[in-house]
Amino acid sequence: MERRTFMEIIGAGSMILPPLACNFRRPVAAGPTFLDGIATTCELCPNKCSVLAVVKDGHITKLNPNPENPKSRGMLCARGNAAVQQVYDPDRLKQPLIRVGARGEGKWRPASWDEAFDYTAKKLSDIKAKHGPEGTLWSSTEGFQEIFFKNLGQAFGSPNVMRHPSLCLASVNLAYSMTFGTVPSFDLLNADYVIMSGANRFESIITPDTMDLIGGTMERKAKLIYLDPRFTVTASKADEWYPIKPGTDMAFILAMMNVIITENRYDKAFVESVTVGFEQLAEHVKPYTPEWAEGETEIPAQDIARIARAFSDAAPRAVFYAGRRSSWYQNDFQMRRAQALLNAIVGNWDRQGGMVPNQKIAKGEFLVLPWDDPKASRVDEVEKAFPLASAKDGVYLPLRENVLKGQPYPVKGWMIYKQDPLHALPDQGKTMKMLDQMEFVGVIDIAMSDTAWYADVVFPESHYLERTDPIEVMPGIWPAAVYRQQVVKPIHDTKPCLEIAQGLAKRLGLSDYFDYTIEQWVEAEAKELPVQNGLAHMKQRGVVAVSQPKYGATLNPVHRFLTKSGKIEIFSERLKEAGQDPLPVYTTPVQPSGGRFRLVLGRKATITHATLTNLPWLHEHNPENDLWIHPEPAAKLNIRSGDLLDVSSSVGQVRIKARVTQEIRPDCVFMLHGFGKKSPWLKRVHNVGAADSVLLETAWDKVSGNAAMHETFVKVVKV
Amino acid sequence: MATKTLKTAQSIRRFAMVIDAKKCINCKACVVACKAENQVPLGVFRNWIGEEASGEYPRLRMSFDPEQCHHCADPSCVRVCPTGASWQREDGIVLVKEDDCIGCKYCIIACPYDARYHNPETHTVGKCTFCSHRVDRGEVPACVETCPSKVRVFGDLNDPKSQLHQLLATRRYEVKNPQTGNGPQLYYLL
Repeated sequence: MERRTFMEIIGAGSMILPPLACNFRRPVAAGPTFLDGIATTCELCPNKCSVLAVVKDGHITKLNPNPENPKSRGMLCARGNAAVQQVYDPDRLKQPLIRVGARGEGKWRPASWDEAFDYTAKKLSDIKAKHGPEGTLWSSTEGFQEIFFKNLGQAFGSPNVMRHPSLCLASVNLAYSMTFGTVPSFDLLNADYVIMSGANRFESIITPDTMDLIGGTMERKAKLIYLDPRFTVTASKADEWYPIKPGTDMAFILAMMNVIITENRYDKAFVESVTVGFEQLAEHVKPYTPEWAEGETEIPAQDIARIARAFSDAAPRAVFYAGRRSSWYQNDFQMRRAQALLNAIVGNWDRQGGMVPNQKIAKGEFLVLPWDDPKASRVDEVEKAFPLASAKDGVYLPLRENVLKGQPYPVKGWMIYKQDPLHALPDQGKTMKMLDQMEFVGVIDIAMSDTAWYADVVFPESHYLERTDPIEVMPGIWPAAVYRQQVVKPIHDTKPCLEIAQGLAKRLGLSDYFDYTIEQWVEAEAKELPVQNGLAHMKQRGVVAVSQPKYGATLNPVHRFLTKSGKIEIFSERLKEAGQDPLPVYTTPVQPSGGRFRLVLGRKATITHATLTNLPWLHEHNPENDLWIHPEPAAKLNIRSGDLLDVSSSVGQVRIKARVTQEIRPDCVFMLHGFGKKSPWLKRVHNVGAADSVLLETAWDKVSGNAAMHETFVKVVKV
Repeated sequence: MATKTLKTAQSIRRFAMVIDAKKCINCKACVVACKAENQVPLGVFRNWIGEEASGEYPRLRMSFDPEQCHHCADPSCVRVCPTGASWQREDGIVLVKEDDCIGCKYCIIACPYDARYHNPETHTVGKCTFCSHRVDRGEVPACVETCPSKVRVFGDLNDPKSQLHQLLATRRYEVKNPQTGNGPQLYYLL
């Protein structure tokens, strides 16, 4: 069936959709289903791909990609496909549980929802009476129902509502927004020259970037330059791979700018009209020559110069890609700033094949009664310590330090939604101490995560395929709004997060703030979608994607960037006022000594989060993690593949098998995330392999407070 | 074209697959989608991705090799089957009739591509069916549909308008182990 025929069949609204390259052939089902499945949205990673769920006799048999979504572009990855199995996983949480033994002892009694709500509300109220509402911490990771959990924490009066960005991309977001006033997307579909530094885009799948990059490098022969201490799948597809010395990415970028400015290769007209501070940058990068950078990065000076020239020649269809997963070093914000400045001076802003400010799709909002602002300030003291960071998201690692010290006040209750802090935060031992000093810990999850195992009450949430969620807008070059609707009724005694929040709210005297149903919430949102009969459209098709890529909308003399100067800020007065370097200053990172190795982290296409390693279809591809070590140091330590190793850092020790491989620098070791679980209810990965979070030391980026995940040196000893 | 026109007046359909292995990122989406679609037990696979690494640090290379049944023109697995359980449809799709399979594994040995497995649950032989149940509904196999980089292109060799046909007409390609005489119908782009 051709696209055109297809669109005629599914109806009038389709003509405003952007053309997609999809080669599917399906019969069209009548009734509420679109094509032959129920339209919904995947939840196994943050990408929010559109899915069609096939249901037979009340049982989900298969998830297929929904090609309507221009962000997921008609694909569904291994994780997304495995979600079916998650619903029917015998290891799932099936009813509320209350701890009866010591924490972590594993003695639970099943409880009714009423009992679990009463118990939790009593504990939270006791803590409130003793320590005030600020004595509670509410932490979560992203998700369509996260809003209800956050609202409950805020309505309760706690200033300590903690989101995940400071464990993820806060440093990237801050660096780009301080430079451009917004965080742009990268037009990889149309770029001719792409540099990726540590962003392993073929294994850590981000939509549509991963697919666009394949289209770019394979179909249009775009150049891909890749810097990473590891030889990844992305390295194998790149035109050039450089095993850069860890922590020196900024030196590479500064040297590129040195070449581009010295040789007058920057976009003069663009720089003059829309940026401030270029002269200071030109002066600033003078000492950062390619020859100097060679000493830092171990990348030959002539290659750096050649790449700089080719990059500026290809501009504006050239991007230094931002990357995404977490920050690496304590200078991460400044390294990302350097990237942003490099992109700015070649004038790739708001151009096809360059960096493009995101478009959004309008949606309605369900209004809830506002609660009073919390009286206390945040326990992480983010306003004081990280004035440029997002106060509403908080800074996780500094928060943990303060909670452990009981400063500026005690925090004794911890509610956790959809997050496993024991694996998400570095230094598991420290997180364990933080858990230990809590008087109450409540976890909402679909499986018994390690953190849930150490909680007092566990609330089982319904799986994403068993519940209806709010509509989510995904900004981008190809923006979309997506909807997650219930595919099957919950198979166990579980509830969606909203109903859990409502159950607790009722007992905490906060019912007024939660007096609505998910249907009312969604209806309000759907009303203002830019499509007729928004809700019916979403129920049938799961996605609204109405915009075509727009380039150059901000490239006019009257446009003001959302920065202090109204221009792209190369030299940042705001950073200077905040006592930070207004231009990225390079300092040589400390390198491992005494036979130690730098521990680097990364992802695989079948594993994004720690929670996915227990799913059988994914587990059979990664039954156990191991420690990658280069043959040269391995020979010195008499290590062969399969040998058991004791790996230790200043904060912890793990036992893990060795993988001797050429695919890593001799001064680094690598292990996959999500193994070495303490929870016996994750039976495939319980005590299998090792947890990276045990080894990782506490370090954060100085400007954003984002956890710095590559600052740990480890000792490796054969057992 | 509409589904019906897949069958042209002049010829019947002959299904085949083109694989652009350079686009493969070894993400296993095809492997898991196949498991879900066909209820393939744990530990055995109807499709898989081979990996070949070579070179000395830092000059390393790695390539991926998506594999499955080649749905050969003259399949040796069908020839050796003592019960007729292994058979081939008119459109080229090679299948196993589970009811007739006695699990003797001759076909597993006869297959030059190691594409068949013994199902530990049913004690019969299983293999890729090109998702014939989907194909008969006018859909593409699950592995083809789900692939993020669209490595696999499925289609009718006898349909000159198909993407498959056009790829074979305009690109260089090879088949694996042509010397077996099986006439494999998985075309690997070079």
